[in-house]
Amino acid sequence: MNLIPLVLYFCAFVGYSLHFARRTPVSARLATTMLAAATLAHTFIIGMRTMQVGQVPVFDATSAISMFVWLLAVAYLYTEVTTDERAMGVFILPLILALQAIPAFKATSEVRSSVLQGPLFGVHVSSLLFAYASFALAFVIGLTYVLLFKEIKTKHLGVFYARLPSLQVLDQMNQRAIVVGWVFLTIGLVAGVVFALQAHVPTMSIEDPKIFVALISWVVYSFELFAARRIGWAGRKTAYLSALGFAIVLLNFVPISYLFTSSHKF
Amino acid sequence: MHLLLVGISHKTAPIDLRERVDFQARGVELALRTLASRRPGGSAGEFAVLSTCNRAELYIACDDVATAKSELLSFVSAFHDVDHTAIEPHVYDVTDLEAARHLFRVAAGLDSLVVGEPQILGQVKEAHSAARQAETAGPLLNRLFHACFAVGKRVRTETNLGSGAVSVGYAAVNLAKKIFGTLEGRSVVVLGAGEMGKLTAQHMKSQGVRQVTIVSRTIAHAARTAEAIGGATAARWEDMDAALSASDIVITATGAATPILTKARVESVMRPRRGRPLFVIDIAVPRDVEPAASEIEQVFLYNIDDLQASVRENLARRANEVSRAEAIVDEELGKFATWLRSRGVIPTVVALRQSFESIRRAEVERLDFKLSALPADVRDEARARVDEITHLLVEKLLLAPTEQLKSLADPETAATYADAITRVFALEEAEQKSDSRVEPFRAKTRPSGRQR
Repeated sequence: MNLIPLVLYFCAFVGYSLHFARRTPVSARLATTMLAAATLAHTFIIGMRTMQVGQVPVFDATSAISMFVWLLAVAYLYTEVTTDERAMGVFILPLILALQAIPAFKATSEVRSSVLQGPLFGVHVSSLLFAYASFALAFVIGLTYVLLFKEIKTKHLGVFYARLPSLQVLDQMNQRAIVVGWVFLTIGLVAGVVFALQAHVPTMSIEDPKIFVALISWVVYSFELFAARRIGWAGRKTAYLSALGFAIVLLNFVPISYLFTSSHKF
Repeated sequence: MHLLLVGISHKTAPIDLRERVDFQARGVELALRTLASRRPGGSAGEFAVLSTCNRAELYIACDDVATAKSELLSFVSAFHDVDHTAIEPHVYDVTDLEAARHLFRVAAGLDSLVVGEPQILGQVKEAHSAARQAETAGPLLNRLFHACFAVGKRVRTETNLGSGAVSVGYAAVNLAKKIFGTLEGRSVVVLGAGEMGKLTAQHMKSQGVRQVTIVSRTIAHAARTAEAIGGATAARWEDMDAALSASDIVITATGAATPILTKARVESVMRPRRGRPLFVIDIAVPRDVEPAASEIEQVFLYNIDDLQASVRENLARRANEVSRAEAIVDEELGKFATWLRSRGVIPTVVALRQSFESIRRAEVERLDFKLSALPADVRDEARARVDEITHLLVEKLLLAPTEQLKSLADPETAATYADAITRVFALEEAEQKSDSRVEPFRAKTRPSGRQR
């Protein structure tokens, strides 16, 4: 089932690549339409599964990734519609494709722990997924910032100079995405701690790699916000930090979820 | 009916002549009205005047091209009070599709002094709306201008002909916009009170820069330049570092022999800025800023050579786009040619209709004699009916041939068809016999096609 959105996301990727090369109004419409169609199909599939299991399907790692991809697509579409900037699509979609490949080719677990339910668990998972989607967006924006920065700095005005918005705008978008992500990361972590205390889960401790790495990413993003506001870090430094932060998030999200964690097998 | 273009442009005439035949100065509307009253070359009352600082062109629909051309020349010389012989060597004239091609290229920015400049399409639109207001734009010119707007729009959206800055000032502004997003609310510091710095600052000012500060060794010079720019302030040389710390863009244009802004000095200026980017444009020769200053994070240093290199690149890129733009011109010209050709058969259609109508009238008149024997009330009714039925009959008979003729795309076929119809229905004889207002049609059915 998750194969259909993957195929549509791939079509959208082709559309955005085409738009990146040609930059015509037709290619712009085509790319956005394809991505909207993919997101819609994905929404439908997640909706179906929600009805099937009676809860938003986030209780195993695979369906959580699918949910994350969907959130990222929605967040990107929102940014695109509000800023009318499409050049970032070609960077976002490879990430979407790579992550969506996991639920597309791996069956989701039908077994769910009786512990993992209740409103607090929902807040915990959905906040964190939303935070991760924001960080993914911040990472891609930071990446484009660095590419454009290099072109201007080295005076080789080329591909990115012609296509990307200004450094100032990219920096602001990056900051905004990190603020949103940090707020949800904090909410998600707090909800997780409270939930673990209430549910008396023994394996929930700082020694669990997933919890530990999540805390590290919180520290990294907190430092990023502090550096941007107090020390006056901007531009490339914050962009690199957002890349580091997202690398940690991704590490936490995929390999650790599947391989190492004891309490977070979802 | 022919389309005729007579004009001068930067390609054929020197600036002093272009200034003297500037229609903008003397009024395009007056020119259009004067032309309308003169009707050069049996014109159909369709005129448009395209007048910019680089060109003055008259577009008219006329029958006799040679007469129209000489009459237009004498109109231009009389209107602008310029000697006939002074203008004539610089004038170009083209007709029909070539005239259309010329306007299409103009609207696309292909004929401009700086290829791809964006203002020209707006000026062409103004020329058309002036003609419409003066009621001198008929079916031919309306179609022509709308087609050229389509060309201009397509070239702008489908090619990169107009992209990239092609002057140093624009290149600097474009770079600043790529760094800061918008220039509104930004502040600019100019080191040196010379002309180059002043011009670049003025350019920035026109883009919405909030504050311009001139720093010069002599405060009087700085104040004078600040006044010339308008809304700028002057600062003393000693206050330079404070001004630099508060600014976003620095333009250096002093005549100093050694760099004024060393790397260490820029570093100290950057410290209180807390990562705010600084765009330094060094247009002085020899340079005012130490090249090593560009190593500082968040300092973007461009000198005059860098800007000129970017301008050259953009010009080269535009040159590469010319062939794509020309292809669009050709494509749209093809569409216009089809339309023009479909107009070519119109005289035949008109003649055919008139021939049928005159036959109908003659027969109705003959019948009228017989009808007059009927009682008065029946007679009027019968007359009305006969008139109605015969009219409908003629219309229905002519419907298919009219549509077929108009839909012919190939000029040769259209000419053959028109010729055949003319002979089969003896339209020429009918034409000679009747004292019709319709002009000889056979000659008119082809020229637009033959011009290709």
